[in-house]
Parts: sequence; structure tokens; C-alpha cells
Amino acid sequence: MVGVLDLNARKEKEPVPSMSDKEIIIASLRRVERRIRGNRLFTELNLGVSLFLVIPLVLKLWDLFQPMRAVTIGFTVGIWVLLFLSFLIWRIVQKGTIEQAAASVDKQAQLQDELKSALWFINNQRSSEWINAQIYRAARNAQNLNLDYLYPRHIPRTSYLAAGMILLFVSLNFVPLPWNHNWLTLQAAPAFALTDKEAAILKQTEELLRKAEKLQKSELAAQLEDVVQQLQEGKIDAQQAAQMLDQIQSQLEEGNLDTASINEGLEEMAKDLQQSEELEPTGNAMEGKQLNLAADELRKLAEKLGLMNKPDASKEMQKSLQQAAENTRPGLEELAKLLKEAAENLKDEKQELAQQALDGAAQELENIQQKIDSQQLKNMASQQIQNLKDSIQQRQQAGQKGAKGQQQASGKGQNAQGQKPEPGQPPDGESQSAESGTDGEPTDQAGQQGQPGAMMPGGSEGTGLMPGGKGGSDAPREGAATSLEVQLQQEKVAGMQDGGEKPENLEESSKQERSRLDYRNIKSDLSPAQKDLLNQDRIPWEYRPLIKDYFQAIRPTPKQQDKK
Amino acid sequence: MSTAIDQQVATFQGQFKRVKEEVSKVIVGYSEIIDGVIMSLLASGHVLLEGVPGLGKTKLVSTLSDVMRLKFSRIQFTPDLMPADITGTNVVQEDALGEKFLEFQPGPIFSNIVLADEVNRATPKTQSALLEAMEERSVTVGKTTHKLDSPFFVLATQNPLEMEGTYPLPEAQLDRFFMKLKVDYPTVDSLHTILNRTTKIKEPEVDRVLGQGEILEMRKTVRAVPIARPVQDYAIRITLATHPQPPYAHSLTMKYVRYGSSPRGSQALVIGGKIRALLNNRLHVSGEDVRTVAYGALRHRILLNFEGEAERIDPDTIIKEILANTPEPK
Repeated sequence: MVGVLDLNARKEKEPVPSMSDKEIIIASLRRVERRIRGNRLFTELNLGVSLFLVIPLVLKLWDLFQPMRAVTIGFTVGIWVLLFLSFLIWRIVQKGTIEQAAASVDKQAQLQDELKSALWFINNQRSSEWINAQIYRAARNAQNLNLDYLYPRHIPRTSYLAAGMILLFVSLNFVPLPWNHNWLTLQAAPAFALTDKEAAILKQTEELLRKAEKLQKSELAAQLEDVVQQLQEGKIDAQQAAQMLDQIQSQLEEGNLDTASINEGLEEMAKDLQQSEELEPTGNAMEGKQLNLAADELRKLAEKLGLMNKPDASKEMQKSLQQAAENTRPGLEELAKLLKEAAENLKDEKQELAQQALDGAAQELENIQQKIDSQQLKNMASQQIQNLKDSIQQRQQAGQKGAKGQQQASGKGQNAQGQKPEPGQPPDGESQSAESGTDGEPTDQAGQQGQPGAMMPGGSEGTGLMPGGKGGSDAPREGAATSLEVQLQQEKVAGMQDGGEKPENLEESSKQERSRLDYRNIKSDLSPAQKDLLNQDRIPWEYRPLIKDYFQAIRPTPKQQDKK
Repeated sequence: MSTAIDQQVATFQGQFKRVKEEVSKVIVGYSEIIDGVIMSLLASGHVLLEGVPGLGKTKLVSTLSDVMRLKFSRIQFTPDLMPADITGTNVVQEDALGEKFLEFQPGPIFSNIVLADEVNRATPKTQSALLEAMEERSVTVGKTTHKLDSPFFVLATQNPLEMEGTYPLPEAQLDRFFMKLKVDYPTVDSLHTILNRTTKIKEPEVDRVLGQGEILEMRKTVRAVPIARPVQDYAIRITLATHPQPPYAHSLTMKYVRYGSSPRGSQALVIGGKIRALLNNRLHVSGEDVRTVAYGALRHRILLNFEGEAERIDPDTIIKEILANTPEPK
């Protein structure tokens, strides 16, 4: 009681002397109520913050093991913030009564229900000497209450807990782990995280597309970047991303050159040109697919044309050019036309016009070379996009089915390559493609990662014809065990399942060992770019001269041809 | 205004203190018992003292009567004691002319302080003779009602051990006692003091410090102390909690109690609380005051059922539980 009724406090806090005893009691009790409410709010605020922080902390810890998306974090934390604010407002709005304050101060100051009784007497007007005396005494005691002693402003233990939790939360955000996201800087896990391999593929594809853009002024690299960004931000799912990648692929494949045909045509032209001594270097360069060199040779020849005084050579040249101009392969029409002009001008001894025609043909050769280069870049980019798409789809399917650890896919083609599953790479639970095949032999001897030509689609569905080199998806190929049902499925014509306009169930026919479908009408799943890649000459550069020499050695001479 | 009341309170405290000091000259220890007895006197109630023989119950009462300038009488209750032996009776008298007439001869009950020693040894008929006197403060003999002097204070004693040949007080009569105080065996220190005081040539003497008028004045002072509704409500809730019926009944009450306290229990709680408030220099009754007097005021008003009796449940245990579970005044 010594500290409870502090006489010093009276000087500072004593209500106005003119106040009646009743007013003194009520004013004092209001003061007590405010202090109690303040202390209560502070305590509850700390407790609330501590409780509130449990959720973000748990989320953050969870995030360290399984990164969460910004939407998830935002939604969860948002709900908790709302709940906390509601709690806070509820507690702030909730005021205590002076009756409660009286009961509290009676207990704290051991006043034996003095203020409680006095307040009741005040509220229930009963005048008597004893009551007035009681109120008088209560007023004196109320006046001298030392609130700092009775209700000290202390820091609750929960505040230390809250501070600790805040510190822990901040620390967790700065844990130097590659997969940790700092929420304080509004970072969160992307909706779809690319693996290192996928990121490498993407980078390579973008580079290829940029190179192609320089040639064709397209904006496919930007589109691709946009698709991946949307996927990472969760605006689209993997399925939608795959569809958008399909569209990019389609755009990429628009106006594709039939390079196989062009190459064949060029070879035929080269053979024709090689028959002329003057045009042989040009023919050789064309045969070696060195069209720029061939163009240079043609220009040199055009320059020399005015100085030539050999009618036989001119005639031979004219004949070779005429033969070459007869080639009507698609994509070589302009070249053929120019060669024909040159031949005709030579025939008419119009040297200048012949020179112009040869210059034009040289320019056309350079154009063709550029187109072929561009086409090759597009092909490679398309293949990379296919790989990226396959990888994303496989991961999504693996994630959906949780097929990790399922039985190995029956396809031996993949395993035959000695590929091992990499940590972090999702298993391919769906790959029923190369499995059937046999056909998973690596055909790309130069299949080093990142090298052009190494990007054969190892994961292309259903074909089994596109074995992946190392540049393809390295994901372990796994699938469901082969069952009778699966075998029956396989007996369906693969090309019809997805690509055909009208999928046809051929099980019955298959059982009868007959097919009603003409195999020639079966559409291939392969894109023109893939077909081109398949048709590309895969002869290693270092062996090319040898092979060329060999074929030139066994080439029938014109005399032998005449005999025939 | 407040000075007069303060003076009144101070006088009350002083007189109470003096009585207690005088009694304590003879009675060693038993401070709470002495307080209870004086409180019952000031509350216009009666006291039932329960304890084994030889603990000084009778001595306490006789000392109290010595301290006060009041008329004291003692009735030793025995099985053959008749009601008329207590109340008195009309006896035939002869006047100077030789005519006979009936004259009321007052019994020992016509005193200010009556010691009903071993009250449970008398028959219920005799015990009930005390009923009217204790409650109505009057005695009716024949067709005449005789008023008792004020203050009228009955102190009854009973022995809880020797139950053979005794007649337990009926509930109605028990309820008329303001308090039932349990006299326990004195402590070693108290026994030393008792021996020192009672084995010498000269026994301690007490002074008469309180007269009839002063007691009546003190009783008025007690009644003047105000009590706030919440505290009164608290006393009522405690009383109702002694009843086995809901909504205030405690689980222990429901199990072991047959009948709970009557409204007289609440009265005892409030008046006892008022006296205690005055003794503590307060002008209001607190919950603590009510709690303090609850044992003495309620223990004889709680009637155990068969199960309670069989399990020898002490009513004090029930009261303790009730006090612990009844919310304090709000």
C-alpha cells in the first residue's frame, strides 16, 4: 500500500479541487481504464504480432524447401494481414467500463472493493451520511492512486518473442541459398522454373532466332522470351506455353525452303557447270555448298569474260550454262533464269550482257546461300523450341502424375545412349515416343551440346525416328510398363492419333493383319524443318574431300556416257 | 459529517478491542472464536459453540458476561430438563388477604447473556423452548408473553463426540444461530499460557468494559454500514450456491447437500461483513468480509444428505469450494 497511494503523484495528477468526490472518483477511474486499456492493447498487440508472424515464418520455412509463387504468398499473407487488422480493430474498439476499472484497481491496490462500492453508490443515488463518508474516503484514495505503480508500462515478454520472430523472418529472407527468394524485396518463386538445361536451350534458341531475325526481320525471339516470362509468372500454364511455342514454331516454319531440293538442284547445276573448264571452280564451289565462293568465282569469270578469246571455251561455257539453266528445282528458278540469260548472251556474243547475267547469277547464289543459312538457323531454333516444349510438357505431366520412380519406359533407344537422369531433372513419365523405337540410335555423331545439328529431338512423341543426341533433352525417359492395351495402342497408326484429321481406330483391322489405310496417306508428325534436318547431308567436313575425290574418281567420263 | 462517522467507527473499534482484550486475559488464543462471539453479540444473533469438553467454551462465555455489565445466566441442558425450567413458570402466590393468585416466575432465560451448556443433551421439546426466545426475543407462558431484555444473547455449546443420549438440534433451531464456531484444541504455546494463568494463586481478573447501552449503540453502528449491491449480490450468490438446485449450485453441493442455507445465512454474511468492515476501519462491506464470515455463518446451515453424512463430508469443505468458485463482486 506504500507505493499504491503515492502522495507525490497527487500534486501532478490531482483532479481540479473544485471537483466533487463523485467526479474525482469517476475521473480517476477513467484514467485507470485508459491505462489498463493501453497496457492491454500493447500486450495484445505483441501477442497478436507474435501469432501473426507464425504464419509468414512457417511459409518462409516452407518456401526454403519448396519455393512458393508470389500469388500463394500474397494470398496467404494477405488473408492473415486482414485477420490481424480485424483483430487489432476489434481490440482497439473494445473499451473497458469504469466498473471494470474500479474492480481492477480495488484488486490491484487492495482497496477491498472500496471504489467498486463507491461507484455503485454514485450510480445508484442513495444519500446517507455513511454513504457520503464512504464516497469521500474512496475519492481521497482514488485521488492518490499511483498508476505507474499499479499499472506499470512494461514491455511484455511477447514483444521479445515478436522481435525474435521478426529477426528470424528477415534472416530467413537473406539466407544465401540459390533457391531462396527474398520476400522483403518482393521476390518469389516463378510459377514455372526452367531447369539449367532448359535455360541453356532457351538462350541458344534466342540467339539463333536473333541471328535469323537479322536475316528475316522477324520478332520471334521477343515472342519466345515473352512466352517464357508469362510461364514463369504463372500467367499461363505449361500446356498453354506449349501451344504458344507451337505457334512460334509454326511462324518459324512459315515459308520454309525446301533446302534438300535446293541442294540437290545446286549439285545438279554444279555438275553441269563442272563440264566447262572455265566454270569448273564455280561448279566445285557449288558442289561443296560454298555458294559465296561460287559467286566469287562467277564474278571473276564475268570479269574475265571480256578478255576471253577462246571460242571453244566460250561455247563449252555456254553449253554448261545452258544445261545448268535447265534445272527447274523450286528456289532455283531465278538462278536458272540468270544462267540461261548468260548462256544466251554468250551464244549471241553479247559479252556485256553475259557479264551482267553472270553477276546477277553470282548475286543470286549469295542470296540462296543467305536463305539456306537462315533456314538452317530457323531449323535449329525450331528444334530447340521443340526440345524446350517437350521438356516443359514432360515436367508438367510428371508433376501431375507424381510418376517419379515409376517403371522405366520400355524404349531402349534412350537408355542405349547411356544417358543418366540428372538431379533436378524431372522424370519423363509420359514418353512413349522413342521407346518404341529402336530407333533411338544416335545418328548425330557430332551431337555435342550446343552444336548445331546436335539438337535432334530425342523426345518427339510417337515417331521414334528422331533420336536425341546429347543436345536433346537429357531427362530420363520413363513411362508406364507395356501392357497388352499399350500394345494395341501401338498397333494404331501413330500418325493418326494426333496429327490426322480424322483419327481412325485400326485395332480391328490390325488384328486381321490388314490395314484399310493407305500408308502413303499417313501424315507425318514431323515438321518440314525436321524433315529437312533428316534429309540433310551428315557427312563430316573432314571426310568430304575424300568422298568427293572418291565419287569423282568413279564418276563416268563423258566418253563412257556417250557409249551408253 | 465524515468526522462524526469516523468518530463513531473509532468508538466501535475501541470498544470491540477493549472487550476482546479483557476476554483474552482469561481465554488464551481463540482470537477468531472471541471475534465471532462478539460479532454475533453485536449482530443481535446467537452463537453455537462446538467443541470437545474442557476447551474453555463455558469459560469463554462466562468471561464475556463478566466483561460486560449484563445479566448472565447459565442453563445446563440435561435430558430431564423441562421447558419451564428454562422459560420459567406461573407459580401460585398468596397475597396479604390470603387470596391466591398466579405469578410468573421468570426462568434463567430472562437474562442478557444465556449460556445453554450442552444444548444437545436436552430433549427437542426443551430445546424448542429456546426457539421463541431466540427469534422473538419473548417468552410465552400460559396466555402471557413476556419480553426479554435487550440485548438477548444465547451462547449454546455442544459436544460433537458423545452422541449417545443426545438430541441433535433441529434444523429450524440451528438456523436461528447467527454463527456456529468450532473450538479446536489449543496449540502448545496456548496451553503453556493457559497453565501459567490457571495454576497460580491468583487467577486473572477482568474488568467490566461494556454496558447494555453501549452494546445497543454498537449494534446501531453495525446496521448503518452501507453495502453496495454487487457485494450484497455476492453474498446472495454464495448463499444460493449452498443449495443443491441450479443455477448457482456447486457440484459438491449437488452431490452432498440436502438443504442449503436459509436467507438468514445471507443476513449473517452481510451483517458479519459489516462488523468486519468496521473493525477494518472501512465504511463499506467488501467481498473479503463476506468470505471471512462465510464459514461461521453457513456451516450449520448446510444440511448434508445421506451420502454426505456417510462420507463424513465437512460442510467447511463445501463452503471452501463454493467460495473458490463463486465469482467475486463485479
